[in-house]
Amino acid sequence: MKKKSVGQFLSESREASLVIVLIILLIVVGIINPSFLSFTNIRQIFLNNTLTFLMALGMLCVMLTAGIDISITSTLAFAGMSIGLLQKYNILHNTFLLFVIGAVIGIVCGFLNGIIIAKGHVAPIICTMGFMYIWRGMAYVISNNNWASGMDVAGFSDFGKDGAPGPYIILIIAYIIFFVVMKWTRFGRRIYAVGSNTEAAQVSGINVDRTLTGVYTIMGFLAGLAGVLSVSIYASAQPNMQYGKEMDVIAACVIGGVSMSGGRGSVAGTFLGALIIGIISKALPMVNIPNFWQNLIKGVIILAVVILNVVTQRTMERQNLLRREM
Amino acid sequence: MAGRSGREISAVPETSIKSKLLSWEGALILILVAVNILGVAISPNYNVNNVLREMPRYLAEIFMMFGMGYILVLGDIDISVGALVCLAGTVTVLSSNAGAPFGLAVVICLAAGLLGGMLNGFIATKFTELPTMIVTLGTQIIFRGIAEVLFETWGNGGGTASMTDTKGLMLLAKKIGPFPISFFCVIIAGAIMITVLAKTTFGRKLYAIGSNKTAAYYAGIKVQRIRFICYSLLGFLSGLCALFLLTATFGSNTTTGQGFEMEVIAMCVFGGIATTGGKGNLIGAFIAAFIIVCLRIALGQRNINTQVILVIIGLMLIVSVLVPALSGALTAKKKKAQT
Repeated sequence: MKKKSVGQFLSESREASLVIVLIILLIVVGIINPSFLSFTNIRQIFLNNTLTFLMALGMLCVMLTAGIDISITSTLAFAGMSIGLLQKYNILHNTFLLFVIGAVIGIVCGFLNGIIIAKGHVAPIICTMGFMYIWRGMAYVISNNNWASGMDVAGFSDFGKDGAPGPYIILIIAYIIFFVVMKWTRFGRRIYAVGSNTEAAQVSGINVDRTLTGVYTIMGFLAGLAGVLSVSIYASAQPNMQYGKEMDVIAACVIGGVSMSGGRGSVAGTFLGALIIGIISKALPMVNIPNFWQNLIKGVIILAVVILNVVTQRTMERQNLLRREM
Repeated sequence: MAGRSGREISAVPETSIKSKLLSWEGALILILVAVNILGVAISPNYNVNNVLREMPRYLAEIFMMFGMGYILVLGDIDISVGALVCLAGTVTVLSSNAGAPFGLAVVICLAAGLLGGMLNGFIATKFTELPTMIVTLGTQIIFRGIAEVLFETWGNGGGTASMTDTKGLMLLAKKIGPFPISFFCVIIAGAIMITVLAKTTFGRKLYAIGSNKTAAYYAGIKVQRIRFICYSLLGFLSGLCALFLLTATFGSNTTTGQGFEMEVIAMCVFGGIATTGGKGNLIGAFIAAFIIVCLRIALGQRNINTQVILVIIGLMLIVSVLVPALSGALTAKKKKAQT
């Protein structure tokens, strides 16, 4: 086999090119404002984006099966609001149990998504859009438009307050588990198989329906977990929390090289994508760009990344054709 | 009309009266009647005048729904329109506050929408490998981002601006009898858009592209040009939506239009348009839109927690897509027997 040139390697490995983008980003920001690279600052990038990091893992699985889940932040709000209210009305204050309850709510929400998409053959975006409305509405209904304030969740918020190790531990464990599962277990490979070619997967004996249901259940589980974490980190629960943030999660996956048509993407890429989004939002104020430029820049970067990807793929194909002709 | 491949040509209308009554549109009309009966039953203030008075706020979205219907029939999707409404509304308010006469502000509003739509169309047709969901996800963040920057650099900051000179808007918010002007505009726009989709070659081309892009291309249809036109049209209608939304809100802020894209898609899907393309018509979507609007007004008058409407819309959406899927096995069997 011929040795690959550096350019070829970069255009074929999304992770490698993302690492380079990341290094350039860090160097530029670090030169303008050295305090950006301090430990506290980097720690805060992870803390501020814990929810995106966590849910991006589930979104990776969903997008690998050529699906999409836009109900995640509603699930998050429903789970978060539920456990917020449990504390507000002094029913339960045990941190561990609250996590379990939030996760179970998430699993139920995700399972409903999965079963309808797999058995009912409903387009994922439509089904999850329906549940996006339902769970968001339910969050408002159960809370009756009230908040659970910092006072209500006082003891619980210690888990996720700035400096506490909780969120980081959850993130690290989640990423290790997903890395192993997606690479080396049967379930992980099945997800890839279903996403690359559903019919082939079906013929080779993979239970496609069960895999799909499993994927959306995992997504729901992570969203529920993120809901609990959100209450803990921001020390409050509102029915409209994280509204519209599902697009951030999708964007993180897209930047990380996860294909929306399924079958392509990796845990490492997802991590890098989420990290780039996190760094951009944290770095802008530190290099003297006002915060209101954030969305514009983020959008341009997303479009630039996906368009660049298309362009490199086109040139690669053209080169391959040329080589064949010679 | 099933061809040899067993594929059905969905644009071919079924003609018998019975099948028309049993169609999804027939069911939607029944639901609309039921919603209105429910409205009268639960709220003493639910009458024609009150409903029409509250309508303009919701009517604006219906403009966009027509364009979204075209896009969905093509098999594409556009989730940037909510942000585009925000952008168009913002430039209108800011330019009017900067001294532009109302006529110019209207032109700016529509032009902003059109340009945004053209940008979507340009990227979607030049980079056809990209799913339109990703393209419009990017432009969605960009449009809202531009609006946010404009608020800070051009307006008074704080992410909100209200129109100081509302004379022109008042003119647009006027009523003819009990009907607001926007009601007539929606009906006229609806009549045009429905006819174009159902009766013209352009409409048929959309169905052809939605059913099978490659086949449409080889049949001599300029696929990319038509896609570009549809995106531009949707952008223009977003501008129109922003304009009529202003007649109800007289201002714009960074959250204007948030979630509109999903509401519009929900209306279309509830009305029987499939997101996979090539199926459904705008009449169904039009009725579905009025169902949602009437339901909102009824629940709003009753002072029921307004967010309950979200749960109801979500349930309606899921049931409406599940029913055909569940009865799908049955009809498929029937169709097989016929051929």
